[in-house]
Formats: sequence, C-alpha cells, structure tokens
Amino acid sequence: MNNKYDVIVIGGGHAGCEAAHAAHRKKLKTCLISISENSIGQMSCNPAIGGLGKTHLVKEIDAAGGIMAEATDASGIQYRTLNTRKGQTVRSLRVQCDRDKYKEAVQKIIKGTDIEVIEAEVEDIEIKKGKAEAVLLNSGKRINGEAIILTTGTFLKGVMYKGDKKTEGGRVGDKASIKLADKLYSLKLPMGRLKTGTPARIKLTSLDLENMEEQPGEEPTPWMSKKGKNTKHIKQISCYITRTNTETHKEISDNIKKSAMYSGNIVGIGPRYCPSIEDKIHKFPLKESHQIFIEPEGVDVDLVYPNGISTSLPEENQKRFIQTIKGMESAEITEYGYAVEYDFVDPRALNKTLELIDVENLYLAGQINGTTGYEEAAAQGLMAGVNASLKICKEESLILERHDGYIGVLIDDLINLGVTEPYRMFTSRAEHRLMFSQDNAEQRLTEKFYKKGFVESEQYNRYSKQEEAYKNFKKLNEAKTISAENKNQKLRDFLKKPNPDLKKIAKLIETEDQENLERLANECKYEGYIKKQLREIKRNEKSLKKHIPIEINFTEIQGLSAEVKERLSTSRPKTIGDASRLEGVTPAAISLITVAIAKKNK
Amino acid sequence: MSIIYALATPPAQSAICVFRVSGEGCLDALSKLFSSELVEPRYFYKTEMLNNGAFIDSVAVVFFKGPKSFTGEDSFEVYAHGGLAVMSKIVEVFDAIGFEEAQPGEFSKRAFLNNKISLSQAEAVSDLISASSKEEASRVSLVLGGDFESRVFDFSGQLDALRVLVEGEIDFTDEDEVFIQNLAGLGADVSRLSAEFCSFAGACSSRKDRFNKPRVLIAGPPNSGKSSLFNSLLSRDRSIVSSIAGTTRDLIDSELVLQNIVLTLGDSAGVRDTDDLIEGAGINISFDEIKKSDLVILVFDEETESSVSFFRELLGEQKYLLVYNKIDVSDKRPLGFDLFVSAKEMDGLNELRKILDERLSVDEIEDLTYLVRERHINIFSEVSSRLDFVSSSIEANESLDVVAENLKACRDLLAEVVGIKTSDELLGEIFSSFCIGK
Ligand SMILES: Cc1cc2nc3c(=O)[nH]c(=O)nc-3n(C[C@H](O)[C@H](O)[C@H](O)COP(=O)(O)OP(=O)(O)OC[C@H]3O[C@@H](n4cnc5c(N)ncnc54)[C@H](O)[C@@H]3O)c2cc1C
Ligand SMILES: Nc1nc2c(ncn2[C@@H]2O[C@H](COP(=O)(O)OP(=O)(O)OP(=O)(O)O)[C@@H](O)[C@H]2O)c(=O)[nH]1
Ligand SMILES: [Mg+2]
Repeated sequence: MNNKYDVIVIGGGHAGCEAAHAAHRKKLKTCLISISENSIGQMSCNPAIGGLGKTHLVKEIDAAGGIMAEATDASGIQYRTLNTRKGQTVRSLRVQCDRDKYKEAVQKIIKGTDIEVIEAEVEDIEIKKGKAEAVLLNSGKRINGEAIILTTGTFLKGVMYKGDKKTEGGRVGDKASIKLADKLYSLKLPMGRLKTGTPARIKLTSLDLENMEEQPGEEPTPWMSKKGKNTKHIKQISCYITRTNTETHKEISDNIKKSAMYSGNIVGIGPRYCPSIEDKIHKFPLKESHQIFIEPEGVDVDLVYPNGISTSLPEENQKRFIQTIKGMESAEITEYGYAVEYDFVDPRALNKTLELIDVENLYLAGQINGTTGYEEAAAQGLMAGVNASLKICKEESLILERHDGYIGVLIDDLINLGVTEPYRMFTSRAEHRLMFSQDNAEQRLTEKFYKKGFVESEQYNRYSKQEEAYKNFKKLNEAKTISAENKNQKLRDFLKKPNPDLKKIAKLIETEDQENLERLANECKYEGYIKKQLREIKRNEKSLKKHIPIEINFTEIQGLSAEVKERLSTSRPKTIGDASRLEGVTPAAISLITVAIAKKNK
Repeated sequence: MSIIYALATPPAQSAICVFRVSGEGCLDALSKLFSSELVEPRYFYKTEMLNNGAFIDSVAVVFFKGPKSFTGEDSFEVYAHGGLAVMSKIVEVFDAIGFEEAQPGEFSKRAFLNNKISLSQAEAVSDLISASSKEEASRVSLVLGGDFESRVFDFSGQLDALRVLVEGEIDFTDEDEVFIQNLAGLGADVSRLSAEFCSFAGACSSRKDRFNKPRVLIAGPPNSGKSSLFNSLLSRDRSIVSSIAGTTRDLIDSELVLQNIVLTLGDSAGVRDTDDLIEGAGINISFDEIKKSDLVILVFDEETESSVSFFRELLGEQKYLLVYNKIDVSDKRPLGFDLFVSAKEMDGLNELRKILDERLSVDEIEDLTYLVRERHINIFSEVSSRLDFVSSSIEANESLDVVAENLKACRDLLAEVVGIKTSDELLGEIFSSFCIGK
C-alpha cells in the first residue's frame, strides 16, 4: 500500500467501482478503499440491472467505457425487454443477475487493472484551506490523494429497522460508517435522512413453483453491453409470479402498528415508487391483491428475492403473511426484510462535476447523494471519476447536458432540484426522451468519452466499424424507391409511417441486415421530433445558460407569485434554464428574474 | 432574440395606432410588408401596408438600426389608422410572418438589457412587467366572465390526466396496474379534449371578430321620435323624420364618436302591431337587431308611454335605456325612465352621450382584450389541432413514446397561461393514484 495516489475512491459499491475504473482508464494511480474487500460490487438489494430509465443509464455507462453492462452480461440469468411495443426510445432491457456472479465479475474486472484495493474503513478526510488532501484509515494510516471520491452508499449512520428492533449498519452484515458521517456534519454540509427497505429472502426449494405463473426470459438472449467482451451467456432461468390475497392483507393490516415504519421510529423519507407492502395495503385499501415477482438469486443458489413485499414488520409477522401467499405456504425464510435509514448529502451542494462546491477535490457519487439504485449510483461514479481525472490532468471537464442523455438529466436534476425522496430515474424525467434510446447511447457518447481518454481503443474500433457499416447501408438503401400499397414510395417516407413492416421492407429492398434497417427506420421515425428539439435547444442555449448570481433574493422580486417565489428560494436554480424547469414557472416569471439579474449586474 | 411586436397605443378606436416591432432580422420583412422601398433609417416614409400584396391601410413607417433604437435592436414602427379592423389585420400579418407578440414589458426589458435605459428607469421595468401582466390577466378574466383562467386550468388538468396514463403506461409497464385499457379509448379521450379546446379557441376568436364597435340601437314604438333622436345625436340628418308613423323602414347605421369610445348607432323601424306588409319586414329587422345590440335606447313619448311594459318584456335580458322624448311639449315626467330629453331642442342629449360613454367603455375593454391576447387564441388552436393529430396517430398505431411527446408539447404550450408541469409533479400524480412499486 502506498501513501500517495492520484485518485482515492472510498466505497466499493456500484458508484465506487465505476469511479475507480474511469480513473484507471485515464491511466491515473488509483486506489479503492472499502470496509470489506469481499463485498466489492455487492448488490445490496434486488439482484437485477435495468428497468425503465435505468437501462438507458447502463447503456450510456457502457458507451462511455464503464463496466456495469459488462458485469451484467457475465452474470445475467434472465433477460427481458420491457415496452417492446411502445416505441424504440422507451424500450428497456432488464436483466436478472446471479448476485454472487455479478459481484465476482466486478471484482474480476477491478483485479484485472492496476487499481489498488485496500480493505479498511475510512474514518476521516483531511481538509486544508478548503481542499481535501488525504484520508485517515481505522488502522491509523494516512493516504494522500489529488482527488477523493466518496461513495459510501447507505452506510452513513445507517440504522436498520425490523419491528421494534433497531440495529446499526448500512446493510445486513455490514457496519455503519459513523465517524465519517460526523466528519461530513462538521463540514456543515446540508444533510438529510432517507430510508429504503428490502424484503425477506426465501429458499427456492421451499416454494411451490407449480402454483405460480412462470416468466421465462426472451429468446434469443440479448446482451446488455455492446463491447462484446462476453461471448457466451451463463445458464438462463425463469422468474415466477404470484400474488398476495385478502388473508395476506388481513395479517398485515392487523399488525401494521408493529411495523417500524408505522411505529414512528423512522423519520427518513422513503421512495414513493418503492413502497413497502404495509404502505401499499394502507394507501390502496381497495386493491385486493398485489403482484410479487419471485426472482432467483442465482443459478446454483437456493435463494429467491420476492420482489414486491419489502417490509419492516417483526419477523414472526413477516413469516405469517408470506405463508398466506399462493405457492409460498411452506416458505423457509433465510433472512428477514428490514428498512434502513441513512444520511445523505443534499446534492445541491455539488458542482456539475460532482465536486463539492465548498470543498475542492472532494467528489460525492452514488446513494450518498440521495439517489437509489445501482444504475443511478454507477452513472454518478462514472462522471465523478471522469471529472476528477480530467481535473488532475488539467483538462476541461466533461459535462453531460440534459440533451446528451439520461446521465445528464440525472446529474442536472440532482444538483439543481435536490431530492425530496430517494431519486430514481424514469424515462419521463427526460424532456428530450425521443432523442435517447438504449440503442443509440454509443452514437451520443462514445466519441466524446474516447476523445477524453475514457474509452479503450478496442471498444472504439468496434464502434467505428459498426458506424461505417451503417453509413454504407444507409447510402445504399436510403434513396431506394419501393412499390407498396399500390404506389411507388421513397423508402424514407415509407419508414416514417407508424409501425412499418420491416420484414416485408427487407424483402423489398433485398437486404438481410435487419439491424441496420431497424436503425434507419427509427432514424426516419424520430427525425422530425429530434430536429425540432435540437432547434429549440440551440435557440435557447444562451439564455438558458445565463447564470443566476447567489445574491439574487427571489422573495424580493416583485411580481412573482408567492408560490413561485417559494419554489425558487428553496431550490435556488443556478441558471435561467434551471429556473424555467421549476413547477408553475411562466415566461413572465423568467422575464422578471432576467431583469433582476441585470439590475444586480449594473 | 426573437422578433416581437406590440401595439404601442391603447387598444381602442382612435385617430392613429402605432405598432412597434423589434428584434434582429426584423428589417428583412420591410420589403414584404410595405409597397415602397425604405432606404434611410429614422426617416418617415408614407407608404402602403400589404398582406401578401393585398392592401391593408396607408401608413407611415420609420425604421431604426440597432443599437440606435429604443431597444438597442433593429426595429421599426408603423403608424396606421386607428380602426380596430386595421389593427387586427396588422396583428394577423405580423403573426403570419413569424413575429411574436411581446410579453408584457418586453420592449422595456430588452432596452434595459441592451443598456439603453438607466438604472433608475429600470426600477420601473419590473413593476411594468408584473403590472401589465396582471392587467392583462384581469382583462382576460373580464372577457369570459372571470372563468377564463379556471377554464384553461381545467383543460390543462384534463391534459395532465391523460399524460398520467400515458407516462404511467410507459414508465411502469411491469407493474400491476392498468393505465390504458385500450388505445382506442385513449384516442377517443384525446379527440374529445381536442374538440373542447377547439370550441374554446373558437369562442375566444369569435369575441375577437367582434372587433367592431359596440352596437347601440334606437328602438321603440312608431313616431316616438327615434329618428329625430338619432339625427340629433349625430348632429346631422341621416334618417328621414316625418310625422307619419312608420316612416323608417330599413335600418340605418352610423358611427357615433364619444369621448372615450366609438360606437355604431342604429335607427330602427318602430315596433307595433301592424298589417302593413312592407313595414313588417322592417320590424323583423328590428327584432333581430335588438338581439345583436349591446345596448338598446328605447324611446317613448307621451302618446306611446303606455307601451313601456310591452317593450320591457320584448327585450328580456337585453340591456336598455328608457328615454322619454319630447319634453319640450310635455310636462309629464313618468316614473321609471332613465332620462328625459327633447330630440328637437337637443335637450338632455349631452347627458345621454355621457351615459352611453360610461356604460359602454367597460364593455369596450371586453372586446379589445383579444387584440392583445391574440397569442392565446393561437395557442388554443394549436393545442386543439395537435390533439387532433395525436388522436389520429393513435388510430394509425403510432407508438406511445411519440404520442407522449405530442401530449407533452401540448402541455408545454399551455405553460404560458398556467405555468409549467414538471415531470416530477406528473410522477407524483402517478404515484398517488396508482399503486406502483415493488
Ligand atoms: C436495504 C437496502 C434496500 C435497497 N432497496 C433498493 C430498492 O428497492 N431499489 C433500488 O433501486 N435500490 C435499492 N437499494 C439501493 C441500492 O442498493 C443502492 O442505491 C446502490 O447500491 C448504491 O450504490 P453506491 O455505490 O452508492 O453504494 P453501496 O453499493 O451501498 O456501496 C457503498 C460502499 O461503501 C463502502 N463503505 C461505506 N463506508 C465506508 C467507509 N467509511 N470506508 C470505506 N468504505 C466504506 C461499503 O463497504 C460499500 O462497498 C437498496 C439498498 C439497501 C441497502
Ligand atoms: N316637439 C317635439 N317633436 C318631436 C321630438 N322628436 C320628434 N318629434 C316629432 O315626432 C314626429 C316623429 O318623429 P320621427 O323621428 O320620425 O319618429 P320615429 O320614432 O322615427 O318614427 P318611425 O320611424 O315612423 O317609427 C316628427 O313629427 C318629429 O318632428 C321632440 O323632441 N319634440
Ligand atoms: Mg323613424
């Protein structure tokens, strides 16, 4: 172990691994410090990668040279594309992973680099004259770094709840980080408390799968990563679906007061989209049954993750309600569900590079910033790693804007709006949704990240070849005229119609290249919308980027409604563009702010 | 910056009106808009304003090259005749070539941002923006009896409700909730909303089309002195006066200029039971005209005074003034009349003018509001036609991501009136009305 590195990454979760790997790709001397070496790359909760909005993030990370998609493909046991018929831009590949194999894959990737892995707890970060310089380990050792990236997830003052039982810890089997949290408090960073929860884990062999609906993966099995590093899928298995019933609901309602969430112990705010089963039954009493996905934890593991019944009821009640469910009558529980409450740093304290505004060289990424989910964490880890590296190399930072992709939307939302609940990505958060599909992440990002040194040449060459092939395909076919529906039409115009029959068209233009035909079809379909959005982006570019100085006091701007004033004051938009994205804001309000800024500047 | 225009003079009938236009590139439009070539900045040119080559009005034009202008940008001003019809034509032409109607206070704002006005002057700019947007808002509510805003809010609420379903269907596809039962139903909902928007936009523009002045009709029993009053108010003889009842057969219109407003005054045939067929036609017109008028002056004299109640009933909800004429020959002052006049001696006419001016200038604003709010009508029509497009694209099997985009674009258009809807808020609505999450 050295005592000096370019980049120090604290935390070996999804954010930390991406951050360290990005710094490694930039050829910087990097170390990754984690409380337990064996838990590097651990999925704390649901063993699945992807989902609406989340898949887009994973594909973008992949396009930028990151590792998440690759690890997913090394461990994927069930692949399923969601939204197949709702348009290409909202199609999402979701992958069920083997929890242990995922972790192994991540660890293998990290070990294959010269990233130095250090098993230790970081107890302090040394800050001199507003600059972070070094970290102190529990062993007493001190390590210096040019940049420090903090990715400690749910570990800051983590407390787990189950009924009236309360244990300190970031997740089952891991202790909480208390000293580090105290350090952050002493820096007077704006902090808050959030909560999340997880269901019990059950033995697969104790379930009666015959009584459940089987949900096989799709065929042929697709890949998450475009890098082509994995060439053979591991064994594919099915998930199963079952449902709660009135008996289940009765058991839960009768004991709801015993749930940690309802006993008033927990102050942190949980995600609205990830409610516990208690919440669902309490808030939607008319719904007689809720769906549960039975997700295997791995190929050779006798364990399932029952997705949909996250809970913090006492153990005996968990067991009782689970055993009322069809196919789970003799379920054997190996680990009970719990809620976890933890500290997070209000991400409005960060720059666009994820560096703290008030502490130079200290970057925060992942769940510590109030997000939830592996993909959200990894995306931030990537961007913090990239920008910390660029700063060390004295290069211009790489900022993704809202119109560059979901990563841009994620970071922009975080640093401007902060979080009121654990932040999860959804496709509806992206106002330029039609510009981003899971299939065009490379075209949007690979060049950008390659130029800055974060995409390895093997990946880049593969990408260039693919683009070349598409260009040729387009040149060859674009101008073709086909006769269909009794008239001659340009292929382009034909593809623009809703739902063109691509199989038929392929025959007509005599091509076997379905993939590129589909790409061309999508290009034609969305082209008009994208052009219009690009025009708008260009037109507003200057005015939206206009900075709103800190001194502006929104409550003093005459003419703004009380509501708008309140919203502006609490979310403190940094630019006119940020302000214009706040609820209820009108063009007149934007005019008033512009004038207020000009007055201040005179 | 975009090219903006605004009416610089009050939106009322007057001798001349002035339109200002500002923004880079606006001078390129001069050759299209005016018949003669304009060479020198800061010179008055007398020319003709054209709409695609068709004559609108003879006007005077001055143009300015930025930064030597009020706003600091290229700009020009048009001085036209102050008729409301002319004003609305000019607005139409500007809209058609892509000029945008200025936001409240935007000219001053641009002047300020371009350092054309001082700090002390600038203090007033914010007030101006907020004051004029308030004023506009209250005027708008005046027009539709105060429910304009609430109706737009209601519409955008309906649109949001549809978006909740569509976005829910996209983002929560694996959930245990059905957002959209069948696409045909969604299409029908969208097309219903489109129809509502369309009729709303239609209602707004039909108000706009009534740009012409308020109508005042003189009516009453035959021979009560209606035509005499008409002539006296106009100070000239337009209508034939005679002692034979039933003299006026056709409707006669003339413009009456008062202190604050200009109105159209009409004289009509006396209404009574009559067997005279020719006169009958004229009487029908009177009934019709009564309905179309903003105000009716009912004229009676001593002889016909007994028919007041008959006329009251006839007019129903219509606004009217009860005038008792010929006070030069009658000493009676029966109860219930608003005014006692002598058309012949011009007695009480100034008072009548004053009453007309006061009563109608309130309504005057009502009619003009849509000159300044042309933009809103455009927004509503655009929303309506976009929604139409959405419903037909659903029928043609368009994918949901594109449908969602078009619905969002509709909602963005309404932001001008009701403020923006953030995705987070929309997600919140999904979470509160559907059981989402695992
Ligand atoms: C109980 C639970 C339930 C969850 N439920 C969901 C869910 O339902 N849906 C969902 O999308 N997401 C859920 N998540 C969230 C998801 O697991 C996280 O968002 C994601 O793992 C965050 O990644 P991260 O890299 O920020 O942090 P983590 O993956 O938590 O990694 C933190 C790392 O930091 C290390 N560390 C912490 N403190 C120190 C220190 N002082 N010194 C050195 N190393 C340290 C740890 O050892 C660990 O390696 C849940 C998480 C938990 C714990
Ligand atoms: N003394 C007096 N005579 C008046 C006055 N106003 C009108 N007259 C007379 O009343 C008669 C009818 O006048 P008109 O103005 O033609 O009446 P009208 O209501 O238009 O009649 P029709 O068009 O036939 O319905 C004429 O002889 C007028 O001279 C008035 O104020 N005083
Ligand atoms: Mg007459």
